[in-house]
Amino acid sequence: MWKQIRDREEGKIRPQSFAHRFKSNRIAQLQLSNYKDIVSPHKGAVNSLQIDLTEGRYLLSAASDASLAIYDVQRAADYEAGGLISKHKCIFSVDKQHDLGHKHAISSAIWYPVDTGLFITGSYDHHINVWDTNTTQVVMNFKMPGKVYRTAMSSLATSHMLIAAGTEDVQVRLCDIASGASTHTLSGHRDGVMTAEWSTSNEWVLVTGGCDGAIRFWDIRRAGCFLVLNQSSTQLGRRPPVLKRSMITKNLGIKPHAGQRKLSNGSGSRELPIGKVSAKGPMKQRSHPGMLSTQDRATAHYGAVTGLKVTEDGMYLLSAGSDSRLRLWDVESGCNTLVNFETVRLQTHKPIQLATTQDSTLVFVPCMRSVKSFNMWSGNTYATFRGHYECVNSCWFNEQDQELYTGGNDRQILVWSPPRLIDDETNGQSVEDRDNWSD
Amino acid sequence: MSIWNYVVTAHKPTAVFHSCVGNFTSPQDLNLIIAKCTRIEIHLLTPQGLQPMLDVPIYGRIATVELFRPHGEAQDFLFIATERYKFCVLQWDPETSELITRAMGDVSDRIGRPSDNGQIGIIDPDCRLIGLHLYDGLFKVIPFDSRGQLKEAFNIRLEELQVLDIKFLYGCPKPTIVVLYQDNKDARHVKTYEVALKDKDFVEGPWSQNNLDNGAEILIPVPPPLCGVLIIGEETIVYCSANAFKAIPIKQSNTRAYGRIDPDGSRYLLGDITGLLSLLVITHEREKVTGLKIETLGETSIPSTISYLDNAFVYIGSSVGDSQLIKLNLQPDARGSYVEVLERYVNLGPIVDLCVVDLERQGQGQVVTCSGAFKDGSLRIVRNGIGINEQASVELQGIKGMWSLRSSTDDPFDTFLVVSFISETRILAMNLEDELEETEIEGFNSQVQTLFCHDAIHNQLVQVTSSTVRLVSSTTRELRHEWHAPSGYSVNVATANATQVLLATGGGHLVYLEIGDGILTEIKHAQLDNEISCLDINPIGENPNYSHLAVVGMWTDISVKIFSLPDLNLITQEHLGGEIIPRSVLLCTFEGISYLLCALGDGHLINFLLNTSTGELADRKKVSLGTQPITLRTFSSKSATHVFAASDRPTVIYSSNKKLLYSNVNLKEVSHMCPFNSAAFPDSLAIAKEGELTIGTIDDIQKLHIRSIPLGEHARRICHQEQSRTFGIICLKYNQTSTEESEMHFVRLLDDQTFECVSSCQLDAFEHACSIISCSFSDDNNVYYCVGTAYVLPEESEPTKGRILVFIVEDGKLQLIAEKETKGAVYSLNAFNGKLLAAINQKIQLYKWMLRDDGTRELQSECGHHGHILALYVQTRGDFIIVGDLMKSISLLIYKHEEGAIEERARDYNANWMSAVEILDDDIYLGAENYYNLFTVRKNSEGATDEERGRLEVVGEYHLGEFVNRFRHGSLVMRLPDSEVGQIPTVIFGTINGVIGVIASLPHEQYVFLEKLQSNLRKVIKGVGGLSHEQWRSFNSEKRQVDARNFLDGDLIESFLDLNRSKMDEISKAMSVSVEELCKRVEELTRLH
Repeated sequence: MWKQIRDREEGKIRPQSFAHRFKSNRIAQLQLSNYKDIVSPHKGAVNSLQIDLTEGRYLLSAASDASLAIYDVQRAADYEAGGLISKHKCIFSVDKQHDLGHKHAISSAIWYPVDTGLFITGSYDHHINVWDTNTTQVVMNFKMPGKVYRTAMSSLATSHMLIAAGTEDVQVRLCDIASGASTHTLSGHRDGVMTAEWSTSNEWVLVTGGCDGAIRFWDIRRAGCFLVLNQSSTQLGRRPPVLKRSMITKNLGIKPHAGQRKLSNGSGSRELPIGKVSAKGPMKQRSHPGMLSTQDRATAHYGAVTGLKVTEDGMYLLSAGSDSRLRLWDVESGCNTLVNFETVRLQTHKPIQLATTQDSTLVFVPCMRSVKSFNMWSGNTYATFRGHYECVNSCWFNEQDQELYTGGNDRQILVWSPPRLIDDETNGQSVEDRDNWSD
Repeated sequence: MSIWNYVVTAHKPTAVFHSCVGNFTSPQDLNLIIAKCTRIEIHLLTPQGLQPMLDVPIYGRIATVELFRPHGEAQDFLFIATERYKFCVLQWDPETSELITRAMGDVSDRIGRPSDNGQIGIIDPDCRLIGLHLYDGLFKVIPFDSRGQLKEAFNIRLEELQVLDIKFLYGCPKPTIVVLYQDNKDARHVKTYEVALKDKDFVEGPWSQNNLDNGAEILIPVPPPLCGVLIIGEETIVYCSANAFKAIPIKQSNTRAYGRIDPDGSRYLLGDITGLLSLLVITHEREKVTGLKIETLGETSIPSTISYLDNAFVYIGSSVGDSQLIKLNLQPDARGSYVEVLERYVNLGPIVDLCVVDLERQGQGQVVTCSGAFKDGSLRIVRNGIGINEQASVELQGIKGMWSLRSSTDDPFDTFLVVSFISETRILAMNLEDELEETEIEGFNSQVQTLFCHDAIHNQLVQVTSSTVRLVSSTTRELRHEWHAPSGYSVNVATANATQVLLATGGGHLVYLEIGDGILTEIKHAQLDNEISCLDINPIGENPNYSHLAVVGMWTDISVKIFSLPDLNLITQEHLGGEIIPRSVLLCTFEGISYLLCALGDGHLINFLLNTSTGELADRKKVSLGTQPITLRTFSSKSATHVFAASDRPTVIYSSNKKLLYSNVNLKEVSHMCPFNSAAFPDSLAIAKEGELTIGTIDDIQKLHIRSIPLGEHARRICHQEQSRTFGIICLKYNQTSTEESEMHFVRLLDDQTFECVSSCQLDAFEHACSIISCSFSDDNNVYYCVGTAYVLPEESEPTKGRILVFIVEDGKLQLIAEKETKGAVYSLNAFNGKLLAAINQKIQLYKWMLRDDGTRELQSECGHHGHILALYVQTRGDFIIVGDLMKSISLLIYKHEEGAIEERARDYNANWMSAVEILDDDIYLGAENYYNLFTVRKNSEGATDEERGRLEVVGEYHLGEFVNRFRHGSLVMRLPDSEVGQIPTVIFGTINGVIGVIASLPHEQYVFLEKLQSNLRKVIKGVGGLSHEQWRSFNSEKRQVDARNFLDGDLIESFLDLNRSKMDEISKAMSVSVEELCKRVEELTRLH
């Protein structure tokens, strides 16, 4: 690391790749934190974790006992072991006793992406609440037709303030914070919707995964979904195969035009993605509602889709299913990339929250009682994080500090961080002990 | 200091990253285009060398520069892409000699991750498309239409993630790229793709090649007729095409840059990291490649770009050493080198550390930088102002005036130096031994003070004393004619040129004489109302020997009057205002513009534009040069005229870009100056100061002066020790043997005058020096050098062991007094309350200096503070400590004396990756971060809640566009106590690209005024390529982009002075402030650096 600091100083490595290397190096060392503890007030399974997107400072957690809590993960309330271990107690928590609190399990709690003044919770009591962080009051409430599994807001959006909600119902609902009303519904799924994620490259694109095993892409400005992922439409690698040069390769210079044009036509009729997501500006006209019914019935997983995560670069989508499979999809082509993730078993009956690193090299997946990180492109297990006593439901990766937060049915929230070198001999022992215990 | 900061560049970026050659300014011109990060320079190749044509700032960090020629054009266009995803196409406008923007646009995408290996921008040789690799996994295409216009861009997915290089292949019917990439097993391959513009996708290319050299990094496309590509590796060079594959092994080397020699692509220059230049030849039989040959030519600076110009002239652009213009000779010289360095272009980059010292003890700072890398490492001494290099000096007290005279009118050199004293005149001349020797001119009266002397036509000399004007033959040295002042009157002031004499006697009498062959004729006489204080008839018209104008400065009514000659009619009268009389006036011409300069008795200088035909004065400007009366004299250096203003702060006035500039001279006080161009001391000046007469030459007239001290090794940290008059530096030497490279680290002691290494200490194997300071401890009068080190072991990712070494300088030698082992790298050291504060990995640790029983001393740890990722940069003030963390911005710690503990007081919660920090004042701290931004944070001790008090509030943000390695308090200019600018505190910074910049904290009123000026300037001064200044200066990191606030761009503001009058008027109108007032306020700012 010292060498890299020196190289950056001399301009030998560019600052961006310096930061990237440092982060990767630290991520490679993740282990149960030897300096940070979250004191969980929850009396039920921790279902959802998120650190705010603006400051990277406040952790929001929600649990099955209808409680939710917020912690400051940067500034500790307390220190232990001679100032070496910071204890992060919640700044406040809300449970059933709160007048407007949820009555049943909270399945999803997310921050308002623009600032930390608001957060949104979805519960099995059929309600979505919008909270004011400073007063701890519910400022808005949306009634849903069934248990809420998942709420999501777009971190890119500049022209809308929509909460996408996946519920027991087959329809995906969009609730508008600006107006306080549920604006519209997206129909297509044939069973409840366990998970929903906004695109990281287009503020209008929403991805949902249902109990029917389907993953649907919606442009919320239009009716119907424009893409249904099909596990049997596949590509090997990061992009669809490059068109072959057929037979004319040998005498390249002689027969140029006719041959080339033919190629072009071939390429045009090749199975193009049904909807190309353009990076900017209005989306191009596309013909979708006439989608063949076979395409509309395509499934991404056998069983329910339990988790979705769009990579930070917006090019790929990870999905987890109750078939204990993890799949990586090319968003542009809509193809399954056939990466074989070495998952053993995933939770089947509950949505799970996946996490990726910013550079999209690793994905963190709750695998029953452990969390595993997989290499995104080989599918190999990179590391296994064992610490929870019961099933893990959610993980959140804090890019700013390169820390992983996990929450499980054992009501604990664990922090996984790069180890801190402890140079004081007196304190070294106790930290060692903690580590052993975690294994 | 304040939160309102003004950022200005004192030394522009000099590190060269890109260059290209083509016909840009006209179809016949051969131009070299040089990109220096945020500037573009255009040079013309002439038989005399490179001639600069244009140097413009770009509102962006230049990522790629390419010249290309669209179909149907006679000359090349310039394509520039910036790191913030803007691009533009520029064309030369021969009418205005400016750049025209042909096209511009934004190529950023929401999808994709910015490529780690840097951005690539390439143009198809047949001009069908521009290709860009900006994000991993995406290749962006901007197609050209048939008329050479750019069409809408699109992305093509690229399977390869770790792309090292992409180039277009020559001679392909469809545009074809070749991609050099690394797979996830770290093996390197090349692949080709055809770009199908209609389908907006790739088609499989004609060939590919797997498993190349593991160090392969550069692709060189070979033009027709051979075509194909060269792949430059560390151990092999490969030529590859659809039907040929040739490889040769080479000596292990890391090639950094290449330049193509022949248009047919058969010869290339390769430059490696050790500065070795090689010639690579593709041998071929007709169009069939038969092999490769490589030959070493010689040594250059370590190149980042190589451009073959013409006729064996090559430009070597470097980012870690000086750039060079070299010539390749056909025959090797005595050392076997074919390389002849014709010119070096100074480059300060990368500045990894700097210190501000006042070696001459004149109250003016000099910056000493650790510059360069590898073998090109050096120290650079940067100082503002012009240096006088002393050649000879004599002790002479009480000099009242000096003039140089020639022995005949056509003699190119001066022979005599007339020195006038209160009651005598002495004449010095060069003797045969080239020594100054007292001599005599018989015709001169040497018993009295001389008021003025000059060479006159017809081999004559003229001397003016208080009673007479004497005309003397310069050959016989005898008196030829004498003019006597009327009895009862004595001459007070006088001036002359080759044919005219003007003098003033008491009572306001003005007398005008003309010089003939052996005769002085009184032509005109005038009486003025007041006494005359000074006068001048320096010829500025077409005739160099005769002036049509005379300028006279007056007592009592404090005015200057301009008279016509020979009739002494008053043309213009200008009241100066105030109560200080003019002490010296001068007519002069700079760059074809005539000025009247008028120096006052209090060190102020007023200048006017002078209309030579009408004698009208315009455009009055006043500046302060010193505090004592000024004497003005012209002199020439390098065939340009300059004015020397002798006073307590001697200044050279010169003109650049038709703008008057003032540059101080590194002398303390000069009473008189005259040019003395003798055969022995050509182009010299005679300077009278403090009882001494000095003859010296003057440096090039420019603002900053840089002296290089080549070290041959890489200096990393520097500090100065006043007491021992030494510099302590830490440096490393690279040892490259055939098999492996190793480093040796040293602590060296340098004399602060000669910069000679007087003592050094080699560190252990694997031990790297990281930090050095000079400090003293409480209860100990000695001053020590403390050095922090780290043991960098190959198997450790982070150092776990280091040392703090305490040295004392004894008899010019470094003596190790104490050492203390640490548990990590000592990134930073600071003197702190008579103790030593060290930043060691994640920890801040305070050490006491303890006296042991046996009388020796040791460092003993007192207390520490955990909680950083890596505490890299530390500054202290009183009991406060600010820490710049690797990735967690700035935190403020406080040392509590009673408890003997260090505690965190507040912190900035943004995730800034720091590169330097500095304390501006008790409450405001300055930081520079990884993505080229500056920001300030403020301590909020009055906050209502713990949360508020514990947060450092971000108060200023700015995109500098430069990577800052070091801030230091100090100033490059003399601080005049009476001037407004003298009160403004400044911080100096140094960057990787060799920029030395100044951050000045302004009073609020001035900030508001300048902010308004800046926003008006943005409307008037358009960025090259249509790039927006506002966007460029907005704070921009990975996650955040916000508008700049509480920082002003001094470079933009000071460019106000370069505007033409109509644009100045436009701004003046918008601001409702007069142009004069604007100029004055901006000029004041230029004196900050």
